Amino acid sequence: MTVKWVGKRMVMGIIVLIIVSFLSFFIMQLAPGDPAAAFYGGNAQTLTAAEKERITRAYALDRPVAQQYVAWLGETVKGNLGTSYKEGRPVSEIIMERLPNTLLLVSVCLFFIIIGSIWLGTVAGMKAGSIWDKGLSTFSIATSSIPAFWLGMLFIYFFAVSLGILPSSGSSDIGGDGGLGDKIRHLIMPASVLILTHVGIYARFLQESIKKENSKYYVKVARANGVMERTIQMGILRNASIPYLNYIAMTIPSFFGGSIIVESLFAWSGLGQLTVKAVVTKDFPLLMGSIMVTGVIVVVSLLIIDLIMYAMDPKLRKGGIR
Amino acid sequence: MIDVRDLSIRINDKQITDHVDFNIPRGKIITLVGESGSGKSMTISAMLGMLTTDINVSGKVIYEGRNLLDVSDKDMKSVRKKDIFTIFQDASNSFNPSVKLGRQMYAYSGGRIGDTTDVFNVKMLPVLDKLGLSWDITEQYPFQLSGGMLQRCMIACAFYVEPELLIADEPTSALDMVLQKQFIQLLIQLNEERGTTILLVTHDLDIVAEAAHEMVVMQQGRVVETGTVETVFSQPRHAYTKRLLESRF
Repeated sequence: MTVKWVGKRMVMGIIVLIIVSFLSFFIMQLAPGDPAAAFYGGNAQTLTAAEKERITRAYALDRPVAQQYVAWLGETVKGNLGTSYKEGRPVSEIIMERLPNTLLLVSVCLFFIIIGSIWLGTVAGMKAGSIWDKGLSTFSIATSSIPAFWLGMLFIYFFAVSLGILPSSGSSDIGGDGGLGDKIRHLIMPASVLILTHVGIYARFLQESIKKENSKYYVKVARANGVMERTIQMGILRNASIPYLNYIAMTIPSFFGGSIIVESLFAWSGLGQLTVKAVVTKDFPLLMGSIMVTGVIVVVSLLIIDLIMYAMDPKLRKGGIR
Repeated sequence: MIDVRDLSIRINDKQITDHVDFNIPRGKIITLVGESGSGKSMTISAMLGMLTTDINVSGKVIYEGRNLLDVSDKDMKSVRKKDIFTIFQDASNSFNPSVKLGRQMYAYSGGRIGDTTDVFNVKMLPVLDKLGLSWDITEQYPFQLSGGMLQRCMIACAFYVEPELLIADEPTSALDMVLQKQFIQLLIQLNEERGTTILLVTHDLDIVAEAAHEMVVMQQGRVVETGTVETVFSQPRHAYTKRLLESRF
């Protein structure tokens, strides 16, 4: 049963990835400009017609888009993401240099967002009408309405420019030892921005979910029969966390979108920054590679969340219909 | 056993119950009868100390010399846990949907009187057997059982706990006729075998006739008639009671 369920989810994930690749590939073609010019970057005006012709031919840019897509897909399935126009190196090599930084940023942020929102949401949700309850509503509206790039700039101004206690950008010091301490100092600001702009809204969702669960019939029955409050609250939390996990799953893609902005702002040398760079330079293979790797991370995260939900919700496991 | 005196409940400007008076004698089955909205369930909630603080409650609920409306939250919790067992109308929603029944039944029975799970396993087995339930249900989730089965799981817990007072708020209205009859038989059994006092809230006079010793008739938040079932059925005094009895086929 479980194996079948996981298999089904994985097939769905692969279908999602194919759709994402298809859409990205075709939307990319609509962008103005010539990829051949991208090879020359700032010196595009020196590009001769013969040279342009040679590049176009070499990278099969003159073939129909559908043919290009099929060729790209065939190579990607084999694990070959192509060669970057701009750097002339294999895309997979460039991505592998950046991937650890993105995984570090995203996992640290998600960890603190989940821990923080569970703690805040539970305290606020269980104590209806308390200062926590009202305070969290205000906090979540305030923090989720602040644009990440603006908060990021404020942080840079205060902590890097005015106080000078944190580095303003990058993911390690040039000429530094590249050690853990150095990494953490660079991580603090981008991670704080991502955590602060997300934790409130997730906590608020859990808070509402707990309040809703708290008013359910079975809770009233349990309280009327003097069932231990701790037992009741554990039951409430368990049930309330299912819609909460669902909400996380739904917002994971937009969370990655937010991380791209933050990475670019803080020049955090990760996939997000790489993606933006690839868009600007019209480096199609690199762009497709970053999109696909980000896509795989999103799909795998969703699969993990689905598995946790599957473990927690007996209705999913047992089919649910009486 | 429990004396309800002058119990008035008001929500904002709306009077829900008005000077409600009745007595629950020990060892009897007493029914609270009346149409929907007559204040029966609110009276039960007030007796259990389950009304929210914004609801205005006055009067007395005397249990073992104490007014339950004045005792602390902690003491009230202890009364609800040790002395009173309450069964509600909607059995299918009375259990947490994502926890196995065994664990929940333990919380409703052994857990509340301080038994370990091992003791629970030994003591619950004959109770389930008696009620025609197999031990397998303890490994199932509530959504895998019918409302009737779940209501029997609840009553199994009541049999286990042997409370001083069992309050059953419209326990049969979600059940079909056959299950209703079975359930009422179980209540009578609990009363006769274990001497449990039962307060049964219902609007079904057939159930009253079958099970109860005494009855309290409520209309629009007031008690209009009390007495033994025989007396009230044979010589109803209040016009509303007469109408109720006439409407019974």
